[in-house]
Amino acid sequence: MGESLPDVPGGDQERGAAFRRPVRTLRVKMVLLGGSGVGKSSLALRFGKDEFRSTSPTVGCAYLTRVVHLSEVTLRFEIWDTAGQEKYHSVTPLYYRGAHAALLVYDISSRESFIRAQLWLKELEKQSVPGSTLTWLVGNKGDLDQDRQVSAQEGKKLAKDRSLFFTETSALSGDQVNELMLDVAHRVYEHVGEEQGGLTEWKETLPEEMYHRDTSNPLSSCCKVGP
Amino acid sequence: MSQRTERRGIHVDQSDLLCKKGCGYYGNAAWQGLCSKCWREEYQRVRQKQIQDDWALAEKLQREEEAAYASSHGTQTQPHSQASAPQQQPGHASLGPFSKFEEKKTNEKTRKVTTVKKFFSPSSRTASKKENQEGKTPSPSTSRRASFDTDQVSRDFVDFLKNLQKPGRDIHKQCRAFIVNMSSKKDLSADELSECVQDFYQGMADRLMSHFKGSSEPVEQVMDQVEKYIMTRLYKSVFCPETTDDEKKDLATQNRIRALHWVTIQMLCVSFDEEIPEVSENVVKAITDIIEMDSKRVPRDKLGCITRCSKHIFSAIRITKNEPASADDFLPALIYIVLKANPPRLQSNIQYITRFCNPSRLMTGEDGYYFTNLCCAAAFIEKLDAQSLNLSPEEFERYMSGQASPRFGGSEGDWSGGGPAGGAGAANPALAQLNHNLELLSSLGSRQEAVAEAARGLQADLLSWTQSVEREVHGILEKYPLEVLSCTVSAIDANNMDNDNLPPPLTPQVFAG
Ligand SMILES: Nc1nc2c(ncn2[C@@H]2O[C@H](COP(=O)(O)OP(=O)(O)O)[C@@H](O)[C@H]2O)c(=O)[nH]1
Ligand SMILES: [Mg+2]
Ligand SMILES: [Zn+2]
Repeated sequence: MGESLPDVPGGDQERGAAFRRPVRTLRVKMVLLGGSGVGKSSLALRFGKDEFRSTSPTVGCAYLTRVVHLSEVTLRFEIWDTAGQEKYHSVTPLYYRGAHAALLVYDISSRESFIRAQLWLKELEKQSVPGSTLTWLVGNKGDLDQDRQVSAQEGKKLAKDRSLFFTETSALSGDQVNELMLDVAHRVYEHVGEEQGGLTEWKETLPEEMYHRDTSNPLSSCCKVGP
Repeated sequence: MSQRTERRGIHVDQSDLLCKKGCGYYGNAAWQGLCSKCWREEYQRVRQKQIQDDWALAEKLQREEEAAYASSHGTQTQPHSQASAPQQQPGHASLGPFSKFEEKKTNEKTRKVTTVKKFFSPSSRTASKKENQEGKTPSPSTSRRASFDTDQVSRDFVDFLKNLQKPGRDIHKQCRAFIVNMSSKKDLSADELSECVQDFYQGMADRLMSHFKGSSEPVEQVMDQVEKYIMTRLYKSVFCPETTDDEKKDLATQNRIRALHWVTIQMLCVSFDEEIPEVSENVVKAITDIIEMDSKRVPRDKLGCITRCSKHIFSAIRITKNEPASADDFLPALIYIVLKANPPRLQSNIQYITRFCNPSRLMTGEDGYYFTNLCCAAAFIEKLDAQSLNLSPEEFERYMSGQASPRFGGSEGDWSGGGPAGGAGAANPALAQLNHNLELLSSLGSRQEAVAEAARGLQADLLSWTQSVEREVHGILEKYPLEVLSCTVSAIDANNMDNDNLPPPLTPQVFAG
């Protein structure tokens, strides 16, 4: 696959594309949701870390950007971290609005965080236009297998029931983090990025087309999902 | 203010209170000394004049623009334009069928726009007519400066569009037509106004997008200018419009924040150490920025204030914690800043931005992130309760009712301490002054309490004193019962020793004869 997460400015991939035609850059909004301490901020930092063209010296890690090159397009991810404490739950749907992707994170070593994720899901389903955002259920802290309280099976089942995508990651070791990023990139581009003109921020996120998601059918071999 | 001092004065001439127009009714300082009827007439007159001025200016500008375009086409010929960017080549210069613009606008009900609004402003739909309209009208004299600013913005817009040549001219025409169109739609609800503006943005952006061959950057640039031009002109009629309850909500929020004055950094778990001078400096700047938002007219400029405020908050947290702030740090800190700043017309500003800003700026991008956080902060403050501050319901009630202040050792009323608040703002003079004043206030409070206590004592004393007097009187009365002495009625003629000085009784004298 010709796709990569760039670590060198203007890698071969980008230069090659430039000869054919200018590569479009689309903006993708991705929101991180989940209880306190499940590892949202750590994931956000992981996602944002490898960014080769670090924008203005980052004062905070609540809003981060990350560029991902696919073969025909460049995606500029805007990663929105959210406050996880319970008292802020009622305002969380505000962040979710207009997001192309959402990662609903729980901690595999905490059953409580898994239950909280389900409550969250209910809240979001109530508040937002169904299908306008692609949502991943992410079991983080995969490195803590010895303390596991939520089996991968359970996670998968919940995801399937609610037609979410599923994966387990470790923000600590970085396991599956890049894979998740690429998966999100592919699927979001597939659903949103076909827009003529390509400037997603001016366009609707095509609710109708995004209704039909298929968890069982990975788009391509390079973005294998889940364990 | 001046009115109050006048009223307080002893010699108030009756004529000072009457309407300055001499109609015989009483005037009101808020209406520049006029009665409500005369004020309304005066306001209408000034407003009418201003509309005329605006039109005159618009016409003048149009002539200027046309002249400018004519000259730029005459003198600035081919060599110049060809040297510039490819999208400005003559072949690309037409912006396409603008005439279909109106059609498209009506056909295409943009779902996005409505859903965004619905989301950010769930209650904006309950529009209610305001009875009291003159209360909120700006005083006629303040509109002068505003119209000057508007002129400047119009000129800048024309200057900007000149660089785009032919399409620039089309854009300008469309914008002007739109403004004229809008000014004829005074009776629309806030949502309808918003929909008109958003439809216009959308149509314009689509058109620009195809003109610039899908390259988003120039489109965004032009759209920023379009927004600036349009919203500067529409601001007065669409900010906090009379058809909404925005103003009521502003007041409610303001009072709510005032009632929450006692909330501390610790209760919100904010990572600010205000004893570090740099931190308290950033806190003050953040407060200033969020207050400044109300003075801006263009939605994007208001967003800019929110972003600057947020950056200062991030700096304050980073300096305090020595690591970049996460979302868990940021939101509580923003809530704290909003509580300290009590920004004027917070709800109106949020509504205005939501209604008239390009929606992509609100839902995506860094500005959008901070704006969303501000919306969250406002929503949170509305719902804030004991639990969200880690207090018991009783404590929360006591603080809300002003019976106790957490500043001084909390619920048990440890007045003697007084120390902890002093250090917090020492680094910054303004904060120190604030803290000083707060301390004065609470010492005043405690003194008042003491006075009240003494008064109660005095009252009790008085009561017991009268009782003791009564008791004494009773005692005396019992000891010396009142004896009713049989009293002989003395007649003047009786043999009374005291009556020596009295003249002797008259005795009949007999005259012989
Ligand atoms: N073992 C392990 N710890 C993690 C992982 N991700 C985050 N943590 C730790 O979990 C704690 C909370 O992480 P944070 O990112 O602040 O969670 P947030 O509250 O969801 O933002 C921190 O101490 C992290 O070091 C992970 O994948 N594995
Ligand atoms: Mg976090
Ligand atoms: Zn009068």
